Amino acid sequence: MFGSPVALINPPGLPVERGKIHEFSNAIGDANPMFHDEIAAKAAGLPSVVAPPTYCATQAFFATPDQAKVMMELGLDLRFVLHGGQEFEFVRPLFAGDQLTPHQGEISSYTKEGKRGGLMKFVDIYSHFTDQNGNVVVRIKNTIIQTGGVVKE
Amino acid sequence: MNSAFDDIKEGDEHIITHRGFSRTDFVKYAGAGGDFNPIHHDESFAKMSGNESVFGMGMLTASMLSRVLTDWFGATSVKKYAIRFKSRLWPGDNVVFKGVVSKIYEEDGVKHVDIDLSATNQKDEVLIQAQGTCRPWVPQ
Repeated sequence: MFGSPVALINPPGLPVERGKIHEFSNAIGDANPMFHDEIAAKAAGLPSVVAPPTYCATQAFFATPDQAKVMMELGLDLRFVLHGGQEFEFVRPLFAGDQLTPHQGEISSYTKEGKRGGLMKFVDIYSHFTDQNGNVVVRIKNTIIQTGGVVKE
Repeated sequence: MNSAFDDIKEGDEHIITHRGFSRTDFVKYAGAGGDFNPIHHDESFAKMSGNESVFGMGMLTASMLSRVLTDWFGATSVKKYAIRFKSRLWPGDNVVFKGVVSKIYEEDGVKHVDIDLSATNQKDEVLIQAQGTCRPWVPQ
C-alpha cells in the first residue's frame, strides 16, 4: 500500500533482536543500559538485554503488515484514521533472543457519536504473543478510531 | 531487586522532559517501530489530509512515556501499560512526561505499584493519558 512490497505472512518465531532493541531504544531517547548493554544485563542476572515495553508494538506492526488491508475491509479511510489507544499486559519482560509468534484475536468494531458531532468508528483489535516455549508472554489490545471523513457502518 | 519499590509512597512523582520534537524524531521512530503511515513523514500527504504538517506517532509519545516507568522502577518492572491518545504531537513540541503513584498493594505476596501517567505539551494540552502497573521481576 505504501510503495514497496512487504511480506504478507509474518514467519512465526520472529526473534527479538539486540540490534533492533538498540535502534528502538535510541529512537525513544532511552539510554538505560538494560536495553543496550548485554554485559550489564547479564551482570544483573537477566538472560540478555530487555526489550522496552512498547517494543512489541513494533513486532505487532511487523506481524500484521496486512493491517492496511484489515482497515480497508473494516471500511476505514486511512486519511482519517487515528490510533485511539493501546494496552499491554506482560506475563514477563521480553528479552533479546526470545522468539515471538503473533496470534490475532478478536476484532470488534462499534460507532459512537463524536463530541463535535458526526460518527466516530472504533475498532478494537486483540492479539497476543507466545514465546519459543509456547507460553503467552504479552497480551495486546489496540484501538483504532476513524474521525471525520465518511464513516461507513 | 530494585530499591525504588522499597520506599515508594502514594503521590510520589517522576518526570522526564523532551524539548523540541523534530521530524527526524518521527522518522527515526518510523524506522525503528515500523509505522510507515505517510501522515507521519510525508508533508504533502499530511497536508492533503487536512493537517498543518506531519505529526508524531502516538506510539512514539507512548514509548517515551513508558520510560517514566522503566527509569523509575527498572527495565523489567512493567506488568501493565494502557494508553489513551488525546492530542497529537507536532514538530517543535516540548513535552513533559509524568508519572504519579496512585496505589500500592500486594498481589500473590509481591508489591505492586499503580501509576497514573500523562504526556503534556507546552500549551498544557494532554497528548496521552496512561496507566501503568509495576512490580519487581526476577528471572524464575
